[in-house]
Amino acid sequence: MSDSSLINQCPLLLPQNKAKTVYDGFITVQEQDFRIRIVLPSDHQLKHASFKCCWQLKALLQARLFFSLWCKSILLSQEIALKNQQAFLIAPPPQYYSQLIKDIEGLGWDKLSHISTDFSTVRLKAEDASGREHLITVKLQTKYPDEVPVCSADLPVPFILSWSSQSCLKNIHSQFLAMLESLKQFWDVMDEIDEQTWVLEPEKPTRSATMRRIAIGNNVSLNIEVDPRNKLNTNMHLWNPDYSILHNLKEVLEIEFPLPGSQETSNFSMDCGICYSYRLEAAIPDQVCNDPRCGQPFHQTCLYEWLRGLPSCRQSFNIVFGECPYCSKVCTTFYDYSVAGFV
Amino acid sequence: MQRMLRLKRELQMLSCEPPPGISCWQNEDKIDQLEAQIVGGSNTPYEGGVFKLEIIIPERYPFEPPKMRFLTPIYHPNIDTAGRICLDALKLPPKGAWKPSLNLSTLLTSIQLLMAEPNPDDPLMADISSEFKYNKQVYIEKAKTWTEKHAIQKNQGSSTIDKEVDEEARNGKALLKKRVATSSDLEKAKKCCI
Repeated sequence: MSDSSLINQCPLLLPQNKAKTVYDGFITVQEQDFRIRIVLPSDHQLKHASFKCCWQLKALLQARLFFSLWCKSILLSQEIALKNQQAFLIAPPPQYYSQLIKDIEGLGWDKLSHISTDFSTVRLKAEDASGREHLITVKLQTKYPDEVPVCSADLPVPFILSWSSQSCLKNIHSQFLAMLESLKQFWDVMDEIDEQTWVLEPEKPTRSATMRRIAIGNNVSLNIEVDPRNKLNTNMHLWNPDYSILHNLKEVLEIEFPLPGSQETSNFSMDCGICYSYRLEAAIPDQVCNDPRCGQPFHQTCLYEWLRGLPSCRQSFNIVFGECPYCSKVCTTFYDYSVAGFV
Repeated sequence: MQRMLRLKRELQMLSCEPPPGISCWQNEDKIDQLEAQIVGGSNTPYEGGVFKLEIIIPERYPFEPPKMRFLTPIYHPNIDTAGRICLDALKLPPKGAWKPSLNLSTLLTSIQLLMAEPNPDDPLMADISSEFKYNKQVYIEKAKTWTEKHAIQKNQGSSTIDKEVDEEARNGKALLKKRVATSSDLEKAKKCCI
């Protein structure tokens, strides 16, 4: 590197002797000045250069990264690299580590499953009452414990952490345990399904998966979705055979059923956009425009009849693509082989 | 199948809330033939005229556009002497822009708009079109004369509309009720005839 560019980049880093083997001064990193002293061997080979700086700068520079860059002998790129890596090079203060170790000791080392090399991500394990093991990943912020850590776990419902500056890993763990306890019933149900049936989907159900597709017979399967916050089970006892079905449904689901809207206004939005009617022989409009902003309903036969006549119509197997007659966005329907007499 | 369902609904809509200056009704004996009237817009050379159209609903309607034709002679760059209308919405894609989301009501409104604002860049009548472009005053005069001669009903000329008016006078109120007159001009003209 020429002297002039060095002066441009680091105006405060100056040679201390005529041979230019010793540099002393300050370099600016992240808008902070650091004292630095570089001693080069007489052959100016950077490989054998020695480098002295204060501990703050050392902390900023991960040794390996620094030396690999240094060996490339470009002071400039070193500085740029430092700027780019600003985010992760800011090491947390030493208190952070002591606090973290104290926390883990308080929690018990047996609960710790994994910790990342930069001590920013901790994975804790917990066991629920049925002996299932669960993991929670806690991403600690630099200002821990003042800043709320980010938690993620394999749960069917979101895990909401209540946090104060006095909280520690133990609080997270106990909240996680409480959460597991509330979901115990859900997992018991899911485990029973997984053990005693042939689950087609998902192939390897995660703890957060609420859906199961169970094989019943040849080409027949049952798709069930279990709501972990389900009300049906808790309200099941409310079902009273003495009352009407509608009354029971209202009780069990805790809802009021909406009445059909006034004939004139609601009809029009339900009708097929092509034949302007609701019933076409036995069919009702069961296709809607794929664009939710349009959402125009159509009878499958009407939409197919229109789309297939379009010059821009495409067909892939039994799916027909074309432009929606209302919004001109791509719209699809299927080609019913049974109607065409193939089956 | 779709044709009948849709026509029924459209006629219901046209009789309940017809667009301003437009009326449309079914021909007594034929289900696939409709008749319509468009009142010439104010501040156009067609002002005061009542223009009659014939509408033929094809078998494949609404997958095909209806065929519309002026019965009343009209002096217009996009309408020929046989009453044929040059309007993209009346043709199937790729040439035209017909879509099942359009209907008789919107088509008649488009024709009304075309009457007020001819499209000389897509002419059917080249000479009228160039007249409209380069000698507008002459076009306006001629269009007014044609309107007076053929479309204003008090004129007892030889146009088709006049025959219709005579018939209407004979049939009396029953037929009058069917037409939803939306312009005072039309109403006045009818009273004159009766």
